Amino acid sequence: MPKETFKTRLEIAKNKISKKNLPNNRKASSSIGTAFKMSTELVSAVAVGTIIGFILDKTFGTKPWLILIFFFVGVIAGIMNVIKSAKNMQK
Amino acid sequence: MSTNPMHQFEVYRIGPEIKVGSLDISFTNASLFMVISSIAILIVFNLGSKKNSIIPNKMQLLAELSYTFVAKMISDTAGSKAKPYFAFIFSIFMFVLFCNMFGMIPYTFTVTSHIIVTFMLASFIFIGVTIIGFIKHGLGYLKLFVPSGVPVVLLPLIVVIEIISYLSRPISLSVRLFANMMAGHTMMKVFGGFVISLGIVGGWLPLSFSVALTGLEILVAFLQAYVFAILTCIYLNDALNLHH
Repeated sequence: MPKETFKTRLEIAKNKISKKNLPNNRKASSSIGTAFKMSTELVSAVAVGTIIGFILDKTFGTKPWLILIFFFVGVIAGIMNVIKSAKNMQK
Repeated sequence: MSTNPMHQFEVYRIGPEIKVGSLDISFTNASLFMVISSIAILIVFNLGSKKNSIIPNKMQLLAELSYTFVAKMISDTAGSKAKPYFAFIFSIFMFVLFCNMFGMIPYTFTVTSHIIVTFMLASFIFIGVTIIGFIKHGLGYLKLFVPSGVPVVLLPLIVVIEIISYLSRPISLSVRLFANMMAGHTMMKVFGGFVISLGIVGGWLPLSFSVALTGLEILVAFLQAYVFAILTCIYLNDALNLHH
């Protein structure tokens, strides 16, 4: 008998929870997360591009050119990262 | 006590010096706080899972809440295929969360405010996810770098860009956690220094800022652990379900 009532009470409580607009709540917290995510994604791609350019320059001895090229490729990669995660957010 | 705001991040040796070859592996305050947070996790979850009562006590509620929180996060972002990796993501989340939260206690050391710690965690995740991707898809995992519907002329450039953005993952993951923790703790220390230097007359304003910052830092400590775990899920999702 007490188990039965517990089950019905659990059902009622579950329904109540699902009726509350939980998705709205979750959306707010995860969008702060994506905001944090985007800011570093832009910077880190530029850093990685520059580091790759620096290493390639050292190995091939083409001092300023590859680091310049890879810096801009890194910038493009960073912008594409941000666009990609913005698209993911819209889903 | 030193008023230098960066003094709190100093790593020093505890106990005897241990050397393997030229490598210094002595026990430091950083290792002490890593051990403390691991033990705290073990204690909390052992106490929480000892008694399975239908009406849970506080410890059990804590353990169950964090279990469902992480399980939901994984199923939302990486799907049902990521279920076997639950234990890994759960441990990562709990370790980062406990390290961040232990850092909020005065006079403690924040392990995650050192880039080498966060970078080790991030590169471990990065290498692991890459290996999982190659095991699941073989050489087909390299398709991740070749997005569909791109003209052949642009392909060399796009592949380079994709490789750079893939390699930037561990750096963005580690720098985010490290920068947030270090900036927050430095700021709190700076405002604490203002309270001392302005004295009883003008010290109340920075003191109130300090209180507000402490609340903000607790939020950031939780949020950064959450972001760290959710990005692990996203990377895992990329490795398990190839979309491109």
